[in-house]
Amino acid sequence: MSGLRFDRMIWLALPAVAYLAIVYALPLLWLLGRSVTGPDGFTIAQFTVFFSDPFSWRVIGNTLRIALWVTLVALLIGYPVAIAMARARGLMQVLLLVAMILPLSIGVVVKAFAWQIVLRRDGVISQGLVASGIWAEPQRLLFTEAGLILGATNVFLPFMILPIYSVVKLIDPRLTEAGATLGASPFYRFRKILLPLTLPGIVSGSAFVFSMSVSMFVIPSLLIGDRFQTLATLTGRSYLLMRNEALGSTTAVILLVIAVSIVVLSTWLSKRVGRSL
Amino acid sequence: MPDQMSLNPAFLDIKRASKSFGNDKALSKVLDGVDLTVAKGEFVSLLGPSGCGKTTLLRIVAGLLSADQGHVMLDGADISAKPPHHRDVGVVFQSYALFPHLTVAENVAFGLHAKGAAKSTIQPTVSKFLDLVYMSAFADRSVKALSGGQQQRVAVARALAVGPKLLLLDEPFSALDRKLRETMQIELKRLLRELGTTAIFVTHDQDEALIMSDRIAVMNRGVIEQLDTPDAIYRRPASAFALEFVGLSTRLRGKVSAVDGAGHLMIDTAFGTIRAVGNFLVGSDILVGVRPERMAFGALAGANTVHASVQDIVFQGSRIQAHFASGIDEPFLIETGGELPAGLAPGQQVPVSWAVADTLVYPAGSPA
Repeated sequence: MSGLRFDRMIWLALPAVAYLAIVYALPLLWLLGRSVTGPDGFTIAQFTVFFSDPFSWRVIGNTLRIALWVTLVALLIGYPVAIAMARARGLMQVLLLVAMILPLSIGVVVKAFAWQIVLRRDGVISQGLVASGIWAEPQRLLFTEAGLILGATNVFLPFMILPIYSVVKLIDPRLTEAGATLGASPFYRFRKILLPLTLPGIVSGSAFVFSMSVSMFVIPSLLIGDRFQTLATLTGRSYLLMRNEALGSTTAVILLVIAVSIVVLSTWLSKRVGRSL
Repeated sequence: MPDQMSLNPAFLDIKRASKSFGNDKALSKVLDGVDLTVAKGEFVSLLGPSGCGKTTLLRIVAGLLSADQGHVMLDGADISAKPPHHRDVGVVFQSYALFPHLTVAENVAFGLHAKGAAKSTIQPTVSKFLDLVYMSAFADRSVKALSGGQQQRVAVARALAVGPKLLLLDEPFSALDRKLRETMQIELKRLLRELGTTAIFVTHDQDEALIMSDRIAVMNRGVIEQLDTPDAIYRRPASAFALEFVGLSTRLRGKVSAVDGAGHLMIDTAFGTIRAVGNFLVGSDILVGVRPERMAFGALAGANTVHASVQDIVFQGSRIQAHFASGIDEPFLIETGGELPAGLAPGQQVPVSWAVADTLVYPAGSPA
């Protein structure tokens, strides 16, 4: 123990640690305990029952598929924005930053309701696609997976942009110029200079968005409804509607395992990437 | 040699290059119709204070910035509209801009891969250029682990490895300490001469420009004030700015009072009348300049002689400077490699003289 030295400043974190222990760690432990407790004490029966039901696998599939799509779309949209923001100057940079941060002040419920209107059969997206001739007739995007992905991407986009932006900001713009003077085409410069150097930002942005998408509850409830279940919505239903604590604690633990593995994996990935840079 | 070079057909030909930044184009003119020709194999420096437009001109030649007007011709072709990766113009950046995620060898190989060089030629080329800059032992190191001087060498090797027609260097030595800088200057000059590389070198350091260049373009406020050999620029600065910016000088303000029988201007200054060769009307305000090593202690017949009082004596090893009391913007100093007069001390009034032919004259009130 002699190697362990405490900085006295560590006590400044005490209130937060105590708070989290009481309202977060203890309930979590209780939840974990509940998921492996049956009428006769310790059991993993709840997990075996859950995993033996094809419906459960559909729910897990739904959860991961939606989260992957949201992460992918957010990355494709967010990456160029992050570059533009980092390279913009003066007023343009301020405008881009404000455009990204301001929507964060609007609650997720409000945004989801707004998306309900946008995604309707007579909503702007449908009207726009019909007007531009891409769709022959108006279609409803609300209560579809595409609608859910669109809405969730909108809500989580800033969490993809910010980590990438902060990485790009630290990259010397001369690097891509140097690449150009060495005869590298714009695409080659992107592939060999910008992309490898921004990989840590991509990893952490994707981890943020993926873990938030995996556990989102309000957005799927409002944009896709009860017929489509994810681990998060199923957990909510188990507790709120079905009063099935056994199922709820089981799905909650599975969700937790997924989220924790994402955090661990991305930390490992960005360290590995960081070392090779 | 340099004089003959300048008679050769232009390898690089910059015609009327202009560039403004910001909204008010008239006020923010960074380059104002610059012409510059560089012969094949020549080493030309752009020398000037920060903001004179030298880096802007460099970036226009590299294609990293587009000129508002003007053309850039390289090896007979107009490259003005070409993107930088199609120009064959290499750049060594001030910050070196080495790729931090690549090793030393990978940095040097970058351009070869980007240009699609045959795989079998890449390794030997990289080795050759790492050898040339004495960095072979570091080939597999990360560039982040290198010192400033080593990074600079890698940056030069990387730029040269692709065989550019023209190499541009943007103050590549500014981050190095003085001793290392002097070594690197000599090394780089030798390397470029051996490879026959045509180079443009941007610097605000006049010593660097004098040491390295075949010709120097003295830039000020977006124009080239003088383009000539280092020797000619030092001996015969074409403008008051060139006189002040390159080397030390004694400078006095005065007014033409008469023209004598021999056609010499008679200039009244605070130190008395000084004679000079030049074409100015009687009554013109004049800036008189003399290089300090052209001046000597003691009166001399037929030369300009003034009496001034010694203020400071500065010992610089191989050279000694004596500064005299003078106006604020008018440095008055002698530099000698020999002995000072015996017993010379601050406060003394002594005669100082220099040849009429060494007296440089410029219209006063020109940019300081």
